[in-house]
Parts: sequence; structure tokens; C-alpha cells
Amino acid sequence: MIRSSDDIIIGTVARVMIPFIQLFALYVIMHGHHSPGGGFQGGVILGASLVLLLITHGIDETKRLVSEKGIAIFGSAGLLIYSGIGLICLILLGNYLDYSRLYILLHVVPAKARSLGILGIETGVGFTVMAVMYSIFLDISTGGELPEDEEE
Amino acid sequence: MSEFLIVIGMALGVLVLLVLYRVVFGPGVYNRIAAISAIGTKTLIMLLIMGFVFRRVDMFVDISMVYALLNFIGCLAVAKYLEMER
Repeated sequence: MIRSSDDIIIGTVARVMIPFIQLFALYVIMHGHHSPGGGFQGGVILGASLVLLLITHGIDETKRLVSEKGIAIFGSAGLLIYSGIGLICLILLGNYLDYSRLYILLHVVPAKARSLGILGIETGVGFTVMAVMYSIFLDISTGGELPEDEEE
Repeated sequence: MSEFLIVIGMALGVLVLLVLYRVVFGPGVYNRIAAISAIGTKTLIMLLIMGFVFRRVDMFVDISMVYALLNFIGCLAVAKYLEMER
């Protein structure tokens, strides 16, 4: 069981750094087509920020901020965004994940619709990767034992 | 200019080999952690030098920032593990 760190330097540095890490992760997701990165990489950086929180502030504090049930819903929402966009393209008489058909809904030229569709896909992938990474780390660090407050 | 940067990168590579000795034979685990952290820092500088050589610094700055971040978190995680072992 990971407890909260006694060291004031580690706690303060982590508390200052985590918002900037998450901002950088959003930048990586948004600029995935200009610079290296994309949905998976941005999601990994978001998950790394949560792992940093878990290492420095202990499991109890992290579970109070980011609950296990909430992160499961978040990961499922990312999957729903991905498959939903693909299904909308299918309904609009295109292939699965054929973003250029989205121009009917978005009222833009097909090339712009393609760019926006890819951005939506990347957002869903980022959500899911972050949630699954955090969930796996939480399961490993608790050693498979269920705490009592989750039973009720 | 490019040759100068490549020579600096090769010198950093040789320095990584020197620090690798401390990782393999170093007495105690804390020396090893410090040496791995130093290798990560040198790798970061080599990534930036590669960015200057390829004239794509804007891309390699992103990669090196992620590398520094993961190096920091990994170092912290190993330290936490050792604290729990005690």
C-alpha cells in the first residue's frame, strides 16, 4: 500500500507540476497532426500525471480525487466517442471511420471534416488510455486486496 | 555547425558509457538510481542535438520534454518502491 510521502519537497513539486503536465498532455493531443504525438501519447502523459499524484500523495488521497468508478466511466466514454464517430460515418453512407462524410453534419468542406473527425477520434483514444493506465496502476499498487469502504 | 554538434553528441555517448559502469558495478542501489537519472539527462541532450542536426527542433523539444517527465516519474517510483521495502 502506497502511503503519502512525508517529504515536503516531493509533495510540493508534484502539486506544482501536475497541472502543467496535464496541460502539456492536452497540447500533445490537440497538435498530434503537426508534431509528434496524438491520442495515445497524450493519454499516456495524462495517465503519468495521475501516477505521479498516486506516488506522492498516497492511495487514499488519490482515490478521494479520482474514484475508481469515475475513471471506469471515463474510459468507457472514450470508447463510446471512438465507436460513435465511426458509426455516425457508417450511418451517413460512408465506410466505418470515413470522416469525410461528416461534412453533412458539420457544414464544412470534406477536408476540414476529415481533420475534425480525426481530432474527435484522438480525444476518445486519449480518454481511454488515461483511464486504463490509471486503473492498471491502481490495481497493481493495491496488490489485489479490496478496501472496506468500496464494499458498501 | 552540424559536424560540431555531431562530435558533441558522440562525446555524450562516451560519457553515457562511463556512467553505465556505475549502473552495472555501482555499490548500493542509490548509486544506480542516480546513474540512471544521469543517463536519462544525457539522452535528453542528445535528442535535442539530433533535433538541431535534422533542423526539426520544434518536434524534438516535445519528445525531450516527455522523456524528462517520464525519467522524473520513474526515478520517483523506484525510490517509493525502496521506501516500501524497508
